[in-house]
Amino acid sequence: MTPNRVLVTGVSNPLGAEVARRLAPQVPHLFGCDVADPVSALEEMDFVHADTRLSVIGKLVRQLHIDTVVHLAVMVDSPHDVRSIHETDVIGTMNLLVGCAAPSSPVRKLVVKSSQAIYGAAPNDPSFFSEDMTNWERIASGVTRDLLEMEQLVSEFALRNEHCDVTVLRLGYRVSEDTSLAHYLSLPIVPTFAGYDPRLQLLHEDDAAEAIIRSVVGAHPGVFNVAGEGVILLSQAIGIMGGRAAPILPPYGKWFSRLGLRMLAGVDLPSHLAEMIAFGSVMDCARSAAEFRWTPAFSSRQTMDALAQGKQVELIETPSPPQEYELQVYLQQRRRRERNLIAERN
Amino acid sequence: MIAEKTPAQRRATSKKAEILAPRQGLRLPMPIRRLQRQAPFLALQAAGELSSRLRALTGHEVIDLNRIMEVVQFIYQQRELARRGPNYAVDDFGFDPQWTESFIAVFKSLYRDYWRVEATGVEHVPATGRALLVANHAGVLPWDGAMIKTAVFTEHSRPRHVRALVASQFMGMPLMSWFLRRTGQAVGHPEDTRRLLERDELVLVFPEGTRGTGKGFKDRYRLRRFGRGGFAATAIRAQAPIIPISVVGSEEIYPMLGDLRPVARFLGLPYFPVTPFWPWLGPLGMIPLPSKWRIQFHPPVEVSNLPPNTAEDQHQVMALADDVRDTIQRGIYENLKLRRGVFL
Repeated sequence: MTPNRVLVTGVSNPLGAEVARRLAPQVPHLFGCDVADPVSALEEMDFVHADTRLSVIGKLVRQLHIDTVVHLAVMVDSPHDVRSIHETDVIGTMNLLVGCAAPSSPVRKLVVKSSQAIYGAAPNDPSFFSEDMTNWERIASGVTRDLLEMEQLVSEFALRNEHCDVTVLRLGYRVSEDTSLAHYLSLPIVPTFAGYDPRLQLLHEDDAAEAIIRSVVGAHPGVFNVAGEGVILLSQAIGIMGGRAAPILPPYGKWFSRLGLRMLAGVDLPSHLAEMIAFGSVMDCARSAAEFRWTPAFSSRQTMDALAQGKQVELIETPSPPQEYELQVYLQQRRRRERNLIAERN
Repeated sequence: MIAEKTPAQRRATSKKAEILAPRQGLRLPMPIRRLQRQAPFLALQAAGELSSRLRALTGHEVIDLNRIMEVVQFIYQQRELARRGPNYAVDDFGFDPQWTESFIAVFKSLYRDYWRVEATGVEHVPATGRALLVANHAGVLPWDGAMIKTAVFTEHSRPRHVRALVASQFMGMPLMSWFLRRTGQAVGHPEDTRRLLERDELVLVFPEGTRGTGKGFKDRYRLRRFGRGGFAATAIRAQAPIIPISVVGSEEIYPMLGDLRPVARFLGLPYFPVTPFWPWLGPLGMIPLPSKWRIQFHPPVEVSNLPPNTAEDQHQVMALADDVRDTIQRGIYENLKLRRGVFL
């Protein structure tokens, strides 16, 4: 099935904007929704102010006759508090799924963004996480537990709605400029956990967008790990960023170290990242490579190099001033009015 | 770039220009600097001279120049490593071959001088391709793993790195996790073994696990249960020949008299050993005893004649695991006979 009317949720975050920009020339009708205004306007996309946390999203899906939903309003690395992350990830997804469920629903394809954070990181993990290694038994930190709950909802949805292809992409950790991980790695002296030098696996923003596009355009139902090839050691990553690793954090009592980092270095490290920086987390991406017949262009190391060179975020356009956004909204409304007029005449 | 709004703001945020020329510090006089540069060579020359004089005087080797060269090489390798910065690659398991090889000198001196390891049958280890090395496990700390790795790297005609499988709990411990990963170890998880074998690596496994290292002094030569034969199933699936290895001598490095279980449980360790020296002497108690070691590599057990679905047949898997276990046990008894004494 080729996507015809596509809705992208969470279109105002950088990844969402990039996905919308790449999707626009490929699909006939593109809609985007988010709670915040988009950073830069996109001519071909109709933007709707809608909150996935409210049931309005279901109405939106039905009224716009959406056949493909790209759910990117899943917060993993975000400055928001735990509570609102839970609301967005679990309740938001639940609302969206309710909207897409039932045979009467027009939705035939659903692509959900998940994250490597779903595996968490613990001392006695295997070296590589394959897709079936999610673990409910671990004392899951906030985001890990939210993602587990979210993916469970999605898999139940996939079981009940066989007419709908569901793709879940577990994207690797990304280090674009605004992520906590990038903030942490860019410190001049980076406090690390004493006695640990974990392996990191990273995913470039371009590759993340590319994977999402591929799963929207093609038909690849299932759960897939997507991350850059190879690994990079934490100490290497710090070295590439030009900092110095200082193994001073005590390996036990991570909340204490996180508090220290927040107060002294101004870096707010979510708990899943604190665990990751101690124990590392590497995914097995063989399944996605076989299914998509594509591997990310940037390896983990190149992703880190790209961040160091400051070319990481290829901005869609220069962030447009608010007036231009207003202008875009006006043009959009006019276009819609014209379209309605044509429809009436016919 | 938008400029700061007021001169005061500009003054507050502006930075002083940095002077890029090197600072003129205290400069030593030329002859002393030359001497500084040449010191290592002069020292080596002197050592060589002394060594040959002593040899002429006493009639046998007193100072071994090769050893000295090894120490010098070690120091230079460390400096080389420090210079490469973040520009090196590790494999997916976090293995850094260059870093590992720089430490071979240390392990080689332990291998040769401290435990005087006699390795036989190293030629059974294939020069290329995958193989699963299976060894007995004893001694509280896994020095036997380090010695098997050293044996294959230094005595084999084609030096290869052996990738040992480690219990996952050690991979989570500070320092241990760092060192083990960096020197190429992987977690004892079937998936990890499969991956390593698919890359045609040599994988070392201790099926006894912590039951082996934590065994008491009185059962030191008796093999424990070989898990559930998982290693045999993995070898069959990957079609990798199994090479049994008998290690004798690791049993005596820490004579374990008792096990403080409550302490072990409190610290999250599999066992807390009590030896004649530990924990009474503190860190000194961690120095292993200089027992005499023998390592025997047995001829490979081929699994290529078994179809891969044999791995699902628990009966055959257990039979194969028991065969390997018997070979190793027999090897231990034979090598005990060949050894003149525990410390000789």
